[in-house]
Amino acid sequence: MAVRLTEGAVEALMKGTPLSNTVLQLLNTKKIGNEMTRIRVIMSDGVHSSASFLLASHLNHLFDGNQLEPYCVCLVKKVSISTLKDGRPVISIVDIEVLKSADEVEDKIGNPVSYNSNGLSSSQEGADSSTPPLKSEVELGNTFSPKSNKTSPQKHLSSTPPSTSSEHRKFNFKSNNKTPSPQKPFPSGSSTSTGRPGPYSRESTPSPSKGRGRGFTGKSPMKSADASPGSATKVIPISALNPYQTKWTIRARVTNKSKERTWSNSKGEGKLFSFEIVDESGEIKITAFNNEVDKFFSLVEPGKVYYISKATLKVANKQFNTLKHEYEMTLHTHSSIVPCDDGDGVPDVHCDFVPISELEQREKDTILDVIGVCKSAEDVSRITTKSSREVSKRAINLMDSSGKVVTATLWGEEAEKFDGSGNPVVAIKGARLSDFGGRSLSALFSSTILVNPDIPEAFRLRVWFDGEGHAVDSQSLTEARSVGSGARMNWKTLSDVKTEHMGHGEKADYFSCVATLVYIRKENCLYRACPSSNCNKKVLDQHNGLWRCEKCDRDYPDFQYRLLLSANLADFGDNQWVTCFQETAEVLLGHSAQRLGQLRDTDEEAFNEVFQKASFKTHIFKNRVKLETYNDETRVKVTVLEVLPVDYIEYSRRLIRNIHKMSPQLDLSEEQG
Amino acid sequence: MANIIDVPKTRINCSMLSQHINRPVCFVGRVEKVHPTGKTFTLSDGEGKTATVELNEPLEEELSGVVEVVGMVSNKGVIMASFYNMLREDKGNLFDIQLYNEALKLIHDFPQHYPFEGAASG
Repeated sequence: MAVRLTEGAVEALMKGTPLSNTVLQLLNTKKIGNEMTRIRVIMSDGVHSSASFLLASHLNHLFDGNQLEPYCVCLVKKVSISTLKDGRPVISIVDIEVLKSADEVEDKIGNPVSYNSNGLSSSQEGADSSTPPLKSEVELGNTFSPKSNKTSPQKHLSSTPPSTSSEHRKFNFKSNNKTPSPQKPFPSGSSTSTGRPGPYSRESTPSPSKGRGRGFTGKSPMKSADASPGSATKVIPISALNPYQTKWTIRARVTNKSKERTWSNSKGEGKLFSFEIVDESGEIKITAFNNEVDKFFSLVEPGKVYYISKATLKVANKQFNTLKHEYEMTLHTHSSIVPCDDGDGVPDVHCDFVPISELEQREKDTILDVIGVCKSAEDVSRITTKSSREVSKRAINLMDSSGKVVTATLWGEEAEKFDGSGNPVVAIKGARLSDFGGRSLSALFSSTILVNPDIPEAFRLRVWFDGEGHAVDSQSLTEARSVGSGARMNWKTLSDVKTEHMGHGEKADYFSCVATLVYIRKENCLYRACPSSNCNKKVLDQHNGLWRCEKCDRDYPDFQYRLLLSANLADFGDNQWVTCFQETAEVLLGHSAQRLGQLRDTDEEAFNEVFQKASFKTHIFKNRVKLETYNDETRVKVTVLEVLPVDYIEYSRRLIRNIHKMSPQLDLSEEQG
Repeated sequence: MANIIDVPKTRINCSMLSQHINRPVCFVGRVEKVHPTGKTFTLSDGEGKTATVELNEPLEEELSGVVEVVGMVSNKGVIMASFYNMLREDKGNLFDIQLYNEALKLIHDFPQHYPFEGAASG
């Protein structure tokens, strides 16, 4: 069974390099901890083995499910390395995948020697390698400090500051024998403790006092790494941040800082602010509440680099957090933010720009980053929102080297202070894609707008625009005349009306469809209506040259022809009778009601021709459907609210998108025959 | 070649030319270059690749914009055109050739849903 282990990985990991995706063989496992189960694993790379590996508790299920049998070969995808006070590493396995099960491998690969963290390799027992090394490893390992654990999942996972060692005391390895020095070579088989579980028993008094709970260090690890960064802990990349590690320092630049906001709900009230930071490995969002707001709000400035340590990590709330990081950070009383003078190498911003031409392929409401040259910008305008708030808005047109243009809307202060003169390069990070007018962008509260940013992409665009770009005939994704007034088009097919029982609910249903006019009822399409504006009631012929309107309770000398069309629409699946009132009927027939009335009375042939011409034309219909009762008969009635020409390109894109969405299901149904 | 009109023609782009040698095809592309003799010209497809088209008689009109060509693919991958169709873009109908290419790929990806050898009734 030839499978290659990543030789040298154990040594590198033990030295503190958090390698990803190493292939290691699992030699043995050991369950430790009483109240809080942790699984310790001995991993080998064929050259060295080490018992300094700990499975992150969210992976415990792998052990419980017997997937981690001795000798299985695994891909250790992600680790997090922390250091004990005495300098020895603890390698916490955050993500792992079993490549070959123990049955497939059967044997130990290579002849690994146990790697001692100070570089000494000591020989191991020969054949029966499982038990003795474990015992000796036990002695090495019993100086474990619990700092890698914040996961008392029962309670404290969210935002309780980890400095209250109440969490840490749950995770306590105290050896019953005295701390053996790490220098000591592993005595073969001689364990001074009675049996294995011994060294890992919890300390008897789970007292919350900071020092005792630790065991050997005598000091809370919290106190060790003080405000001076780089002293005890080294800087780790943002991408390695996770809740299972409490001792870390990161060095990053603030990209985005929100204003101070207050909230008040049933649970209470308070204030908060948030900011996002970036380093070479990625970005993460940080939030500060109440006291921390006072402490850090003025200190944190966008664009500056800081060393940050000691904060709570938790799973990111995707509702408010649009960054890609799995976790987000909350500051607490012991958090430390120290300005860093040496910001070299820390990028200014982390953006994944989507080419403007690709925006059509993306789903609406996704948050993405764009960059483009501001071809033109409208003046700032003030509008009143539904909540009666007045806000400024400005639409700007961005074009990139694809020649496509998209309209982006800026709000508030950004809108007011934006200056589009000189065609600046504008980058928007975290804009929301909308299908308003086809495709357009809207800056969110959390978006960052950068004008002429100092990034290579911006320079490329500048060069392109100054060279040829400014003369390019651009194609805008945002039509000036938005289809459907920006309302979300609920696209359906005619068969859906019946299968979905549309209109059967209490409220009417609205939908849009692409359909062909197959029949229009010529008879009774026109009626004589009251000439007063807004009154469309049918008038009665008084036979004395006057026409009576019941609604206005008046007689009029003339009338207005109005259309009330009954038509049949069809698509590939079904057909549907619909009613079109004046406005939509005029669009379909291409003539005013007045003119048609005239034709009907004068030129019958021309009148018929109008209907001929209108038949079998395809349009986009926006409809209202409702169940209605008329004389004991309940029927589904469809009224056409708007008729629009089919934009074939938009339609085509929609169909292609739908096909792509459906294709996994299609593939599956093919497999099934 | 007269009965090419009655035969189902597969819509293809440049990358599919080699699989359709000696078969009737329909190719849509943007006019790139017209040979001075007017008997041959090149078209670029939605992916940017170029195909060569040869005619029986020289062109009698100015060819530009997007053209649809129907013909047979020769051994050398050249389209021997039977007839062609210029898509007039002046009425504001912009032909999106990349979108056409997307649709083309779908047609080929799902032959069970888009059968070409359909009931070719005479």
